[in-house]
Amino acid sequence: MKPSLNTYLDTVQLLKSYQGTHEANRTFALQHPELASKPQQMLLTWVSKYRFEITEPLNSKSYTQHFQAITQLSAFLFFVLGFLTGFGLLSYSGEAPVNVIYYLFIAMLLPIIGMILSIVSLLGDKNIGNFFAHFFPLYWLEKILQTLSPKYRTTLRTHVALPYTLQRWLFVERLQMLSLLFSVGLLIALLVMVVVKDIAFGWSTTLDVAPASFQSLLSTVGWIWHAWLPSAVPSIELVELSQYFRLGERLDSTMIANANRLGAWWQFLAMTTLLYAIGLRLLFWCVTRLGLQKALDRAFLHIDGIERLQRHFQTPFVTTQAPQVETHLPLTQTNEEPTVPTEKRAYPHIFGWNWTTEEMLLIHDSRQIQGKQTHEAGGSHTFSEDEAIARLAQGLVLLYVKAWEPPTMDFVDFLELLIDNPKVERIQLYPLGTPAQAYRSDPNDVEVWRRKLQGFNPAKVEIIDAT
Amino acid sequence: MQPKLYPKFAVVGHPNKGKSSIVSSLALDDSVQIANTPGTTQVKRGFPLVVDGKTIYELFDTPGFQRARRILAWLQSQEPVTADKRADLVKSFITQHRDDPRFHDEIELLEPIIEGAGIIYVVDASKPYGAEYETEMEILRYTGQPSMAILNLIGDEDYREQWKRALGHYFRLVRTFNPMTATFQDHIALLESMAQLKEEWTEDIKTAIQVLTNLHQQKIDQTIDAIVTHIQKSLTYQEIQTIATDKATKVEESRAINRYQTHLIQQEKEVEKEIETIWNHRSIDKVENLLAFDNVGLFSKESASIFGLSQKELIVTGASAGALGGLGIDALAGGSSLLLGSLIGGVVGGVGAMLGFDNLYHIKLLGQQFGRRELTIGPMQNLNFPYVLLGRALYYASLLAKRSHALRNTLHLEHETFYTQQIIDSEMRKELEKLHTKLRKGEEVSEEMSEAYRQVIMKSFQALICS
Ligand SMILES: Nc1nc2c(ncn2[C@@H]2O[C@H](COP(=O)(O)OP(=O)(O)OP(=O)(O)O)[C@@H](O)[C@H]2O)c(=O)[nH]1
Ligand SMILES: [Mg+2]
Repeated sequence: MKPSLNTYLDTVQLLKSYQGTHEANRTFALQHPELASKPQQMLLTWVSKYRFEITEPLNSKSYTQHFQAITQLSAFLFFVLGFLTGFGLLSYSGEAPVNVIYYLFIAMLLPIIGMILSIVSLLGDKNIGNFFAHFFPLYWLEKILQTLSPKYRTTLRTHVALPYTLQRWLFVERLQMLSLLFSVGLLIALLVMVVVKDIAFGWSTTLDVAPASFQSLLSTVGWIWHAWLPSAVPSIELVELSQYFRLGERLDSTMIANANRLGAWWQFLAMTTLLYAIGLRLLFWCVTRLGLQKALDRAFLHIDGIERLQRHFQTPFVTTQAPQVETHLPLTQTNEEPTVPTEKRAYPHIFGWNWTTEEMLLIHDSRQIQGKQTHEAGGSHTFSEDEAIARLAQGLVLLYVKAWEPPTMDFVDFLELLIDNPKVERIQLYPLGTPAQAYRSDPNDVEVWRRKLQGFNPAKVEIIDAT
Repeated sequence: MQPKLYPKFAVVGHPNKGKSSIVSSLALDDSVQIANTPGTTQVKRGFPLVVDGKTIYELFDTPGFQRARRILAWLQSQEPVTADKRADLVKSFITQHRDDPRFHDEIELLEPIIEGAGIIYVVDASKPYGAEYETEMEILRYTGQPSMAILNLIGDEDYREQWKRALGHYFRLVRTFNPMTATFQDHIALLESMAQLKEEWTEDIKTAIQVLTNLHQQKIDQTIDAIVTHIQKSLTYQEIQTIATDKATKVEESRAINRYQTHLIQQEKEVEKEIETIWNHRSIDKVENLLAFDNVGLFSKESASIFGLSQKELIVTGASAGALGGLGIDALAGGSSLLLGSLIGGVVGGVGAMLGFDNLYHIKLLGQQFGRRELTIGPMQNLNFPYVLLGRALYYASLLAKRSHALRNTLHLEHETFYTQQIIDSEMRKELEKLHTKLRKGEEVSEEMSEAYRQVIMKSFQALICS
């Protein structure tokens, strides 16, 4: 499978609207391991799988339709033109013989020049190519069609979007095919004329050419078929016999006498047409077809998006994110704000949640607070130890907490023990900062504690803000 | 189904110590809920590293410990068992308390560990150590899973020595990791530590490191590709507008210019989006605090002075690009305004005019192409503009590439610190200018030239993201 002009156009159109995700494309590549070493096949398979993603009318369809119509029309015109040219060249009025040099010019020299020009136009850059294009009738035919047909203009919009080399190869390849048809027309005209008419061939030139050298030229032309079709190479007698001079006005009598022998030329002319105008052209056409395919292959790999696609095929698809969205438990919130008193100087009971007694003494010093009894809670104590000391509490209770440590449910459990203790009148929660900060806490941290206390009885729990 | 054999890691710890931040930065996932409210994460969430459908390892974000003491008490109240059976105790705690709302958080965090996950214990080492942490570490020890600790520094103080002394009793590995500022190298270093946790995991983690390294390089490549394409598209962009008469009116012209600029601004927005997607910053909030990044930003004089070349560089570049013609340096030095903005405002300084500031764009009349009169604007003619585009794109991309996925603050585009000259030296500029010149002329750019251009941009981008 090779990319055709259709696949090329479809791919351009497809990649404009759809390129697939890395994940999907990589999956596709992994599903086709047999194509791993054939990138072009992989791409073509991908394109045929996703072609349906093109929602707009296919460019390829309208383009190739018009392109084909024009090619067919041109093919017909070229064939007819070839036939008419042959017909014109071989029209023998009975006055002067048909000059084989004219015919050879059209059937041999012109095709060879044409092919050389084609090659030159392919080799050079855009400007050279465009310049040489002017030499080809096809160029002018297209120009005429452009002006005549509005439909063709639309097609042209697609056409000019093609990469330049591809355009060039399309043109040259088509040109070879059309020239071939022209030559076929020429050959048919020759054969038809030979059958229906008795043509006297002759040769004549202003240049000073001896029959012998002319004959050697002709045998060089015919050396290929000389071995197996010697009658299709004019002999020296025939060449001498058929030389005529235009200035002589009339056919000379020897020529008339040998008129039947002059017809022997036709085999040579037919073979020349067959070999040079048709055979060689056919060969060249095949070559340009190959060239066109190569240009298509190259252009295909350069379509916008192809490189990305290939990268998708080759690079592993990696994800690091969580596949699910984050879930949250329903929130229960009340909006009662605990009051914010300032600290008192003396308390009957002071509890340190996660503070050690040693640390609490330092706090007392630093904050000039006195406590009749200090108790450790949390920290390395067990829950049942906490239960026991919570029972000791009475009256106004001061509760130190580490402001920077978020309140855990463990703390809440302990706070509830204190609240549930009927002897406790009020609890003042005191979030403290680190010793290094002289126990001043960060307002954000205090805010966290304040929020945690929402929902507790504000008459019983207060928070001291020592930020 | 076979049990999944890939390594898993549960990131656990006290509430609000940056567990989610660490996971978010390691998983390059900016969708994780991170907040200064303890209890933000309520349900465990897996972050697998998946390559082509195959999981290499999985990280778990978990809620923090809430009632650690109760659980430890429960575990210690059971019949004592030998060390190899202690994990079963934890398992039976989970099965017995699955419906107990009091232990919801602990069950969420212990479950992955019981299923084989390694433990990554996160603490905030900017706050002092406390005995209450021992309860948590004891519970983790009951699970018998391999474990390490991460010291995160949320605040300004540093108690790492204290923490290390304590954590050393429980964890073989203790590492510092700051999720907010961690670079790609820091990620890899942390993964290397994780690989040491268990012999069976080493290979997988090595693979993961390889995968992530490739992924990182891929992102850089994609970013460069996006930027190069952006530059090429913008510089060659042509706004074509049909006009009524043979000569465009002022209104028609200014409408076309407007459309041209809008297109380029839109194009820049798109490449920014693309870069955000490449680096997985999809929910980013931007503050475009100065004009330079807002809608008129691309064409503003701030933008030109920050991202563009200096006056001197412009003259040098202009001279080498042949834009100055026969103009003397004296004439240049006498000019006043080199700013793009002045042009937009309609004021054109003398030097500006010489340097091509009056013709930001080619405006040309296409005559009757396809039977329509057209006004064409572009390709961009201004010498400075490519550097403005490039500087802006590189600056934006480097910010995103370096940004941690744990950050939830808005992205501040503080371009005052950015100077194109710092990342593109004159040698590089020469290389860049080759392509800019081609694009200005609307000529085709060869692949080698594109590649050389890409290399220069790659170099400056690498320098930017390493700084
Ligand atoms: N400056 C700074 N802030 C951090 C760092 N790590 C975490 N934070 C902040 O700390 C707060 C808590 O971070 P999270 O990642 O949500 O912590 P967590 O442990 O997941 O919290 P929960 O899910 O509530 O248990 C957030 O406001 C983060 O922005 C850090 O390294 N530096
Ligand atoms: Mg969290």
